[in-house]
Amino acid sequence: MAAFTQQNRTLISSATLSRPRAKFVYWTVLTLVVAVFTLVFLGPLYWMVTGGFKSAQEVLANPPTLFPKHPKASNYSDAWSELKIARLLFNTFYYAFGALLFQLVFDVAAAYAISKLRPVLGNLILGMMLATLMIPAAVLIVPQYMTVLDIPLLHVNLIGTPWAIWLPTVANGFNIFLLKRFFDSIPEDLMAAAKIDGAGPLRTLWSIVLPMSRPILGVVSIFAVVNVWKDFLWPMLVEPDPKNQPINIGINSLSQGVPQNVLIAALAISAVPTLLIFLLFQRNIMSGLTAGSLKG
Amino acid sequence: MAATTVPEKSSRRHAGRPVGQPDGTQHRSGLSRKVRSNIQAYGFLIGAIVCFGFFSWYPMVREFIMSFQRTKRGVTTWVGFDNLKQVYHDPYFWTAWRNTLQFTVYALIIGFIVPFFVAILLNELRHAQAYLRILVYLPVMLPPVAGVLLFKYFYNPEYGLFNHILKTLHLPTSQWLDSSHTAMISVVIAATWMSMGSATLIYLAALQNIPGELYEAADLDGAGLFSKIWHVTIPQTRMVLSLMLLLQIVATMQEFTNVYLLTGGNGPENSTTTVVYMVYQYAFRYNNFGSAAALGLFLLLVLAGFSGLYSRLSRNSD
Amino acid sequence: MSRIGYRRLVAVALVAGIGLASAACSSDDKKDDPGTKSSSSSSSAGTPLDPKTKVSITVDCEPPTTKKAERQQWIDDVAEFNKTYPNVTINSKDAFPCEDPAKFTAQLQGSSQADTFYTYMTDLQQVLDAGQAEDISAYVNDKTVPNLKDIDPNVLNVLKDGGKLYGLPTSNYEMGLIYNRKIFADAGLDPNKPPTTWDEVRQDAKVIQDKLGSKGIHGFIENAGGNQGGWHFTSELYGLGGTMVDDSGKKATFNDDNAKTLLTTLHDMRWTDNSMPATPGKEWGDVQKAMGTGQVGMYVGAPDDIPLVVQQYKADYKNLGMAPIPGGKTSLFGGNDYMFKKGSSPDQIKAGIAWINFKFLTPGKGQFNYTRNKTDGLPVGLPEPFFFTGASKDKDNQLKAASATIPVDNFKTYVDTQVPVKPEPPNAQKIYTVLDTVMSGVLTNKGADIDKLLSTAESQVNSLLAASQ
Repeated sequence: MAAFTQQNRTLISSATLSRPRAKFVYWTVLTLVVAVFTLVFLGPLYWMVTGGFKSAQEVLANPPTLFPKHPKASNYSDAWSELKIARLLFNTFYYAFGALLFQLVFDVAAAYAISKLRPVLGNLILGMMLATLMIPAAVLIVPQYMTVLDIPLLHVNLIGTPWAIWLPTVANGFNIFLLKRFFDSIPEDLMAAAKIDGAGPLRTLWSIVLPMSRPILGVVSIFAVVNVWKDFLWPMLVEPDPKNQPINIGINSLSQGVPQNVLIAALAISAVPTLLIFLLFQRNIMSGLTAGSLKG
Repeated sequence: MAATTVPEKSSRRHAGRPVGQPDGTQHRSGLSRKVRSNIQAYGFLIGAIVCFGFFSWYPMVREFIMSFQRTKRGVTTWVGFDNLKQVYHDPYFWTAWRNTLQFTVYALIIGFIVPFFVAILLNELRHAQAYLRILVYLPVMLPPVAGVLLFKYFYNPEYGLFNHILKTLHLPTSQWLDSSHTAMISVVIAATWMSMGSATLIYLAALQNIPGELYEAADLDGAGLFSKIWHVTIPQTRMVLSLMLLLQIVATMQEFTNVYLLTGGNGPENSTTTVVYMVYQYAFRYNNFGSAAALGLFLLLVLAGFSGLYSRLSRNSD
Repeated sequence: MSRIGYRRLVAVALVAGIGLASAACSSDDKKDDPGTKSSSSSSSAGTPLDPKTKVSITVDCEPPTTKKAERQQWIDDVAEFNKTYPNVTINSKDAFPCEDPAKFTAQLQGSSQADTFYTYMTDLQQVLDAGQAEDISAYVNDKTVPNLKDIDPNVLNVLKDGGKLYGLPTSNYEMGLIYNRKIFADAGLDPNKPPTTWDEVRQDAKVIQDKLGSKGIHGFIENAGGNQGGWHFTSELYGLGGTMVDDSGKKATFNDDNAKTLLTTLHDMRWTDNSMPATPGKEWGDVQKAMGTGQVGMYVGAPDDIPLVVQQYKADYKNLGMAPIPGGKTSLFGGNDYMFKKGSSPDQIKAGIAWINFKFLTPGKGQFNYTRNKTDGLPVGLPEPFFFTGASKDKDNQLKAASATIPVDNFKTYVDTQVPVKPEPPNAQKIYTVLDTVMSGVLTNKGADIDKLLSTAESQVNSLLAASQ
């Protein structure tokens, strides 16, 4: 407790904090911050989990109760079976990881081609891809929806198929930008050396570029998964069949048909998988996120 | 942040390496080799080009065309500026813009400034840092539907948690989502709770990149806490702050999910009808895709204006 | 400009001798009009489905898992149907509610609705605009639908356009006042004398609120969103004898004294008497939930809410009663039906008709299997649907009476009072969206300016109607 560990110098120096009065202030502030943050960020989650154990009357009771009077685990099993949460979660992961796969394959290949293979008109294509960053996604919702209904030239309707979620995520100018910039920083010498060894572009990508690009691939992956995970309007439009809906849409559309306590139990269940993933990989996820957005 | 390490630029070339090699080979190989390598390169590009083509470039063109068309019973006709006129004369056209701006301003006041100060606070604390960071980021990992519907439950004026807390503290209670005066701010509070984690972490990373000597120098000048924030912290993080500001403005101007889930979209007396919700309403409730596209065009112009203004300002300040 | 296009289209349709909707869809070259198709089929359109035919259809509106009894009935009915038609595969799609207007629009645009798809009776124009329904006139006769002659022609007319039939009704309702008899009794009101005018509604709501408000029970609840507000406004205005649009269907007529009286009453109930909850219904299901969980004394609704609240919220149907719409001048009538996706094969249409006939249009079977409803704990004796006339009506009433589980007295005033019915306005769902705002203004803003709300809504509806022509 005595020594404030040496870290990056910040607003207040460690020396200042070591003074007795400052120490008192520091510990007061720290305790307050920990208490308030716990209340603000964990409190609602606590309310969600316990709300799921309350009876239909208790959950609507005024004043609300801090602990469920007669905890009912059956709400959770009702929610699980009536809202088919397993199916909704599966759909969500299916869409998220499919989108991730397509983005990694297509966007990495494209950024690599533009950065290292430099075909004719490569810069024009890059420019057009980056230009899409200027168009807000919401503006394109309507024409994009009309396009997915009937893909030009091919005349296929993607509504209700996972392709309607997967493929549009590839058209992500930000990915191209991040990847291309990273690839640019890989020394040409390495590429040249690989060429002398007789490696083709694919081989070079696989055994030289990709191993060096792990950090940026991590960032792109997190964004890819999180974007699908958070998306609402698009999947609501393109997945009308309740059997194919991701969790956000599925729970919301069924929320009208179930009592409040079962609904809250469903919300709690739906939060478990990602919270678990987050707690297990929080170090990687948080450093990846800050890295990506800071450099982006 | 270990992950930020980027391989060094190849500007400093290692001596002894045959650096001219790529150019040299190309000269010898001639045209056919060039064609082949181009074909190869386009092989790598084709997936992305197709996806961009179908889902980005083509819809951009189509958005523009649709704004001037109307489809009735399967027959599409050109209607000139009728769609633009219709949405412009919608009695809630200006309401939607006002709401969107209101959302943006509230989101900036709450969602931009709060995370920044939270980041500064966390950066000063020598203990429990990891715990606090995880806490702040926790809501980001919830599925939006869980966070939003939970807040909807808390906001209920009769049995909701928030009014109960206010009552216990002998403060006046609120109608929250059920009054046109408080609906939008309630949406912003819920949205901020769910998303402030990302911004906080980004600011934290930026704060940690500030060289400590600057603070030491400020200390020597006898600067106080707020003076240091004003003269060191903010200028040093200006790049990140201004970029985040732009990103946040552009993102909040496209608000849909939170208002849709919390107030059903329009909210009390259309007090939460955002422009994007109105686009949705025109397309999927009024079944008028042309007018929806026309409204999208308005939104595009405004956002392009913002981005233009931003790049102009940031150029001037350099 | 668009009117010229429309006129030319009508001319083309007449010359070609085919339905308007199929002409609109002619750009899609894979889909023929039903005429040529049925001639190429082994049998003509007018004959019932050959049980040997192998065909597969998707059907909307299977009851969701949250309505356990009805869902099981559906599954059992499919099995029984398959005894007669072993080669018909029915792929059921559940959704709740069966139709969400926004999702429905999206589905029509994408032709992603089911082969035999559920619609509200208000949807025909929108479905035809999207060119998404088959003309089934040639398929429907007394061989394929034996009780056809007993179906109220007024109901069938709602599903016709230009003399062509596009759907088969499965239920219809007349709006009324649903109330909780137990709450009435607890508040010292006579459950057999529900209010019949808005003044009485207001008085009774206030009594309930004053007596039971401390227990979290409110007198009355109303909707303000999700098109429900507009739908209720329309029903209530009809009750007072008002109209929504003029005969041409192009001009709004709801901005009148009736509407002002109605909205003033609602406003006073919310803000002067405080006999309504602070949170109005925002989407379909909100007010039903309040009734089902015993938090509210009355609301305006349709009889099919009663089995819903019984099943989902375990309400006791003995406590639920129904009265005619306050005012009692005219009553909004609506309902639902199934249509047939454009491009369905003749066999698919026949299979769909056979299924609907079995499940929804045969006394004693499917939805009219009252003995089963009784065993499953579903209320029997509700005055809905009421599209049968003649012999089918008599048979239905007889079967219903034999298994009745709800005290008929609970619905006596609703059934006995013959309120003339009035269909929903054209482009109803658009109008309802606009009127949500009016309801929301009255129910969430103490200082609401009713005149201004109505005139703004009027101009917006006029503009939307003009754009729909």
